[in-house]
Amino acid sequence: MPRDSRIERARERARHAKTTLGAVALLVFGVAFVGAKVHAPGHTKGRSKPLGAPASFKRSVRENTLRSGQIAPPAQPPVASSSTS
Amino acid sequence: MSVHTVERFRAMGCEVVVAGADAVTVAAGLERWEAVFSLFRPESELSRVNGSRAHVLAVSPLFAFALETALGLAEETEGVVDPTLCGRWPEIGLSHRLLSRPPGLVLDLNGVVKALAVDEAAAALERPGFVSVGGDLAVRGPVDVALPAGAAVRVVTGGLATSGTASRGAHLVDAASGRPSESCWQQVTASGATCLAADVAAKAGFLLGERGPDWLDARRIPGRFVGVDGEIVENLAWHGQVQAVPACT
Repeated sequence: MPRDSRIERARERARHAKTTLGAVALLVFGVAFVGAKVHAPGHTKGRSKPLGAPASFKRSVRENTLRSGQIAPPAQPPVASSSTS
Repeated sequence: MSVHTVERFRAMGCEVVVAGADAVTVAAGLERWEAVFSLFRPESELSRVNGSRAHVLAVSPLFAFALETALGLAEETEGVVDPTLCGRWPEIGLSHRLLSRPPGLVLDLNGVVKALAVDEAAAALERPGFVSVGGDLAVRGPVDVALPAGAAVRVVTGGLATSGTASRGAHLVDAASGRPSESCWQQVTASGATCLAADVAAKAGFLLGERGPDWLDARRIPGRFVGVDGEIVENLAWHGQVQAVPACT
């Protein structure tokens, strides 16, 4: 019996060690995974911006070529000026 | 309108004035256009396209959009506003992102790019305000704007642009002759539903010379013309919109 008890205690210690090692490995993997997601080149941190102009802007430009805007008599001192550049 | 903060900086070779938007965001947007279309940057896409000997080229979505817009405007203005500056715009083909053109035919998209950049920046205005690049502007909400040779106008919607020779000399090219225009106008200001529409109208009004006021009137576009002798001519559409409405008594 004492011998069985020693073996049993050794098995118990081994189980604890395996569980601890597994948990530590999982934790290290998780931290590394999140770190890579945030910092690694090639991973976007925010929403990517399209290379072309937005579709709504393109539509607005196409629908308004050579169409008049609306003007009126001035009501206040000008805050901007239109001139040749 | 009451504009609380007006910010000024330089971009695209011009003074930029912004109200109602974050200047840094606007500057970043303008730089995006400048990086693709500047003729002063050898590494820009437009410089590389112009320098290429290839007959067919793949271009970026932004380049294709600007060129498609420029070709559409050349057609609408019957070649008065022409991205080739020499009447050869019908020789350019564009299918999605594939550009074909005779090698050596140089493109100048400055005519539309600045106005497109203004319109894109104005579309992102967070509150009433305006974006002005070199005096071409688009508004969100009414903005009072000073005009060449005195006077002012309230831009209620859309944009306002001025073209002419006042500040840069004879840089507007008559596509029919390929030479600098000898217009009877010094400066032409036009209103448009967008800054691009205003800019194209102002350029066409200038390049068409004496026919400019009627050409704009036929399209119900308000135009104000400053002659080389300083005389100011407003077309019927301009006069009709700017005429003060008498108050009821």
